[in-house]
Amino acid sequence: MSEDAARLMGRVRERDSDAFEALYDTHYRLVRGVALRMLGDAAAADDVTQTVFLKVWTAPELFRTGNFAAWIVRVTRNRALDVLRSRAQQGACELPESLPELDGIEDVALARIDAAQVRSALADLPAEQREPIELGFFGGITHEEMARRSGIPLGTIKTRIRSGLRRLRSALDTAVRA
Amino acid sequence: MNDHPMLDDIALYALGVLPAKRAASDDPNAVCAETVRAHLATCAICRKEYADLGPAANLIGLAAEAPADDAARDRIKARIMAQVRRESVVPLRRPERRGGTTRSVVWPAYLVAAACFVFALISTISNLALVGQLRDVKTQLAQTQAHSSSLARNLADERTTLADVMDANAKHYAITDGEVITRGRRIYVALHDLPEPPRGHVYQAWTLPKDAKAMKPSVTFVPDARGLAVIALPVDAHATDAVAVSVEPDGGSKAPTTKPLFVVPLS
Repeated sequence: MSEDAARLMGRVRERDSDAFEALYDTHYRLVRGVALRMLGDAAAADDVTQTVFLKVWTAPELFRTGNFAAWIVRVTRNRALDVLRSRAQQGACELPESLPELDGIEDVALARIDAAQVRSALADLPAEQREPIELGFFGGITHEEMARRSGIPLGTIKTRIRSGLRRLRSALDTAVRA
Repeated sequence: MNDHPMLDDIALYALGVLPAKRAASDDPNAVCAETVRAHLATCAICRKEYADLGPAANLIGLAAEAPADDAARDRIKARIMAQVRRESVVPLRRPERRGGTTRSVVWPAYLVAAACFVFALISTISNLALVGQLRDVKTQLAQTQAHSSSLARNLADERTTLADVMDANAKHYAITDGEVITRGRRIYVALHDLPEPPRGHVYQAWTLPKDAKAMKPSVTFVPDARGLAVIALPVDAHATDAVAVSVEPDGGSKAPTTKPLFVVPLS
């Protein structure tokens, strides 16, 4: 999937709207799914989906290499965080920093991983590790907000997130090799 | 489990759950994305941890793929493609009137003149007030835009630095409590546990151009509250033979006045 998407992005850079349409068809479920999970509102998720794909069209050079799906998820999460920020302007909720879109931390080994493999690896994590990871990624709150809401000590939240990410990494590596 | 003090924070940074910066009122020891980025520039252990966990964290979103929904797909696609294809603007045309059955109302000239006078008076009063408000809003907008541009530049610079120092092709020259890093034509000095310079003094970087005999003055800097300093030197790495740092009077010096903390030859 990743290689196809990278090739399509090459055509998008040359202003090929058919390639753009094909990218949309293969990735709209992912983009809309992330936005819906973060915002809990179909209309807002549709707006974010539209914004993200228009960004792909107007600034395709922002995607350089690696897993296109992971990149577009980062873009989507950042746009959804913008929406959450505008909803919480009074500072009622502490929001994390946006994920870098040009970070250069892609891993070639994970470039071909797909959604089913990620879902399965996440599902296999112990609930005490999976929950703060998912809450942090999709809930749009900081680790301190998590600790405040759950009553779990900050240090425990940090350790669970790190242990969960290490375990997730290991499971994804295994899935790639299988 | 915790074999290095910042490893848990690296995981939080990779997951994207750290606030960007700390407010002045916050606990000075609380971690934020800015401090982690600065630490990553100086710590190889944490860079490796980030290189391990970052890609895995990036993939978590894939688990949220929505079920197929043709109606939603087509609805959003129509909106997007309408914008994508809108490459030329079609001028609006006035719709042609059909039937000619509308009735026009004729106003007496004195009523029209009175209405015009009242309208002009109200417009003038409103305009005077609006012009003042508009000026204030424009000033505020210009200030906000300048501030926003400055923040965006700083963030872009920080990310370039981070990408450079983490790049597999970067060269690292270890020194006590830090590194000098070159990536392509760029040079960075990353120091940790750096004490505050004496009152009235700063740290100053020095560079030795190729074939030169004397060091040239470069940027001055002070470490942050944690003793961290990551400095990009505005010189070409390919044209530089060595980098040094010394303590100098505030404002910098033209030649080193104290013994350098280190001198690193770039090979």
